[in-house]
Amino acid sequence: MTATETIEHTPTSSANTDHREDFLGLPLPTMGSRAVAAGLELFFFILVALGVYLVEYFLEGNITGFGLSNWWIAFALMALWNGWTYASAQTPQGTLTSHFIADSTGAPAAALTIMVRQLIRFGLLYGIAILVRGVDVAVLVLVGLLAGACMFVAPKRRAPWDILAGTTVVTGFPSGAQLELKPLTSIADLQLDTKRGRQDGRARRLLFVAGLFSVLASALIVWSIFREAAKFVLDDEFSLDILTGIGWFPRRGIFDLWTLFVGTLWITGIAMLVAGPVGLGVAFYLSEYASPRVRRWLKPMVEILASIPSVVIGLFAISFISPSILRNIFGDIGIFSILAAGIGVGVLTVPIIASISEDAMRAVPNELREASYGLGGRRVTTALRVVFPAALSGIAAAFIVGVSRAIGETMVVFIAAGGSGGAIYEADPREPGQAITAAMASLGAGTDSVAGSGLAFQSLYFLGALLFILTLVLNVISDGVVRRFRQVY
Amino acid sequence: MAAITTPSEIRAGLEKRRGTNTGGQIFRTLLLVALVLAIAMIGAVLWSVGVDSWSLLIERPWSFLSNPSNSSAELAGVAQGIRGSVTLAAIVAATFPVGVGAAIYLEELADDNFLTRLIQVTVRNLAGVPSIVYGLLGLAVFVQQLRGLTGGPSVISAGLTLGVLVFPVVVITTSEAIRAVPQSLRDAAYGLGATQWEVIRHQVLPAAMPGVLTGVVLSIARSLGEAAPLLVVGAAPFYSTGVKNTLEQLTGAFTALPMNVAVFARLPADTWAAHAAAASVVLLVVIFVINLAAIILRNRISKKLGR
Repeated sequence: MTATETIEHTPTSSANTDHREDFLGLPLPTMGSRAVAAGLELFFFILVALGVYLVEYFLEGNITGFGLSNWWIAFALMALWNGWTYASAQTPQGTLTSHFIADSTGAPAAALTIMVRQLIRFGLLYGIAILVRGVDVAVLVLVGLLAGACMFVAPKRRAPWDILAGTTVVTGFPSGAQLELKPLTSIADLQLDTKRGRQDGRARRLLFVAGLFSVLASALIVWSIFREAAKFVLDDEFSLDILTGIGWFPRRGIFDLWTLFVGTLWITGIAMLVAGPVGLGVAFYLSEYASPRVRRWLKPMVEILASIPSVVIGLFAISFISPSILRNIFGDIGIFSILAAGIGVGVLTVPIIASISEDAMRAVPNELREASYGLGGRRVTTALRVVFPAALSGIAAAFIVGVSRAIGETMVVFIAAGGSGGAIYEADPREPGQAITAAMASLGAGTDSVAGSGLAFQSLYFLGALLFILTLVLNVISDGVVRRFRQVY
Repeated sequence: MAAITTPSEIRAGLEKRRGTNTGGQIFRTLLLVALVLAIAMIGAVLWSVGVDSWSLLIERPWSFLSNPSNSSAELAGVAQGIRGSVTLAAIVAATFPVGVGAAIYLEELADDNFLTRLIQVTVRNLAGVPSIVYGLLGLAVFVQQLRGLTGGPSVISAGLTLGVLVFPVVVITTSEAIRAVPQSLRDAAYGLGATQWEVIRHQVLPAAMPGVLTGVVLSIARSLGEAAPLLVVGAAPFYSTGVKNTLEQLTGAFTALPMNVAVFARLPADTWAAHAAAASVVLLVVIFVINLAAIILRNRISKKLGR
């Protein structure tokens, strides 16, 4: 019992309660001084803003309405800036200024500082607002990037805007950001019923909301697609002659899905014929044959192929594959053909299949290879009869993902397959045709004109729904395959 | 059972049994053919784009970069596309905190319950959705529903659409980077009395930063190459550049570099082939520079953190 009493009356805790000075050696702020400090900030903010408004009024004769004038931009930014500094200059007892206001000798200097600070800030923002309007957005972005790079390289990150804020320069009165705040640590701080605890709760809630965003995005996709797709299916003009094999002419009300299915099937098939062997070969070589040094050079090269945008591959299909390769094989083939588009999509699919298969092969434990070598197996035997079966589910997943990507690939088909707006049914891949994605792109390319023409706009969403379901099923299958593959090791 | 005698006999016996390694040679050759084909694809793409654009880029490099799109081939340029792509990159970058936050939630905070699993499943499925479907999302949500905020088919709508498009990529790469942070760092910080947010903010995020930034920058590069969602959202093939203020630029007609390529590629090839190739060169240069920046950033931050 005596022990608890001693703890309760330790000298440090009594010193803490009798503390009359803060860490700056000033008297502790009271409710009054805190209210005065906040009031002064607000008062000078409004005063300066009003003053600038009046000056603008008398110089210009009139203010250009209540639209997005320079003054409003400056005012809004200013409110944000003040809010931020007010929050960041908090000490455990109140704002930094309230510490100075509490001291009778410091009060006038603090008031003056607040006034000068508000004046300089508003002037600065007003100037920025004038400069920024009419300036190219891209220039702004580049300036921002440059400033960001400077901050990144500069050793003292806070220096620029603290000097701009003008507090130190003008009055020698520090702003919150410059002062290394060392809050008084007490038992109450460690029990999280404090600012830190509340901050922790806020951050957790915010992160949870960010996590929910993926659910929101999925829901939005489903909602936006199926809402319009349902209109398409439920419309009176919709009939089941969508599989007649005439052609795809949405603007004339002919929605023959068969044309698109055949196009997509051909393109996916051709793409997998190109990408399957090449991608698998690259994966085998990188995983089983290449020395670490060779691998270090080859893998980035494959990744370069993955980083080439699909529009460039589409262009490649019509400027190289068709004239230089297909013409030499098939003779008089047109520039635009399903075959060229399929090969182009194949080029895009190679790195996907290669990298996923290679990951699967490298996940095979080395003990299996060593056991094979130990039994006298050759490299080819080890690769084909030990590594390949062990990695089979991963490789299968790679192929499924590859198919899913090939089905969803848009720009190559849009550029190289030759169907613009509509397409006649064509079963020969050497002729121009249309796939689901490219048909959507053609519809979307003229959304303004689509809106007026019957069901064409809704058909865009109908195709989107088909594509979404198709790729979703494929991805779920590949996910299942991968999960089984993970259980093996 | 024949008794094994000396090592040389074993070797001789093995060699006799194995015979010559024809199958292995053939397999190895096939693999090399596949590898050469893959590298030839890269080479052919870069070579054909380079050759096709050469005449134009030699003749008028600066006017091609600084002219707006034009219906006459002698004047047309990609200035609007460059401006649009830069703005798109900035908007996409502004959406990254959501993805990073979601990854932090999944890796650091989430309990194993139904909601967490739902989030994980949706992230994985979003990663597999074709890019043009994101265009439909953008068209329905940003262009039509939020027309008042985005101004319809504008660079804001397109940027937000691309932001949703790269969201799963950002979540997945950030998650991987966070998972690689050793648990001992967290335990030490908790031992010193840090709250969970303080551990995340001051220990986990800085340690994961190289990986996070690399993933983030690479997804900017990816979003810059996307054209399909922009087509659906309503990027304009041609539009007139008047004097516009910032707000009007953000909510008005827009285009981007991949759109330039697509539009040029679909025009008659005899006059426009060089334009398409030259726009591709500009796009490729931009994407390679960003990829390079990702590598430099990663190295620099790793050095700064002393890892």
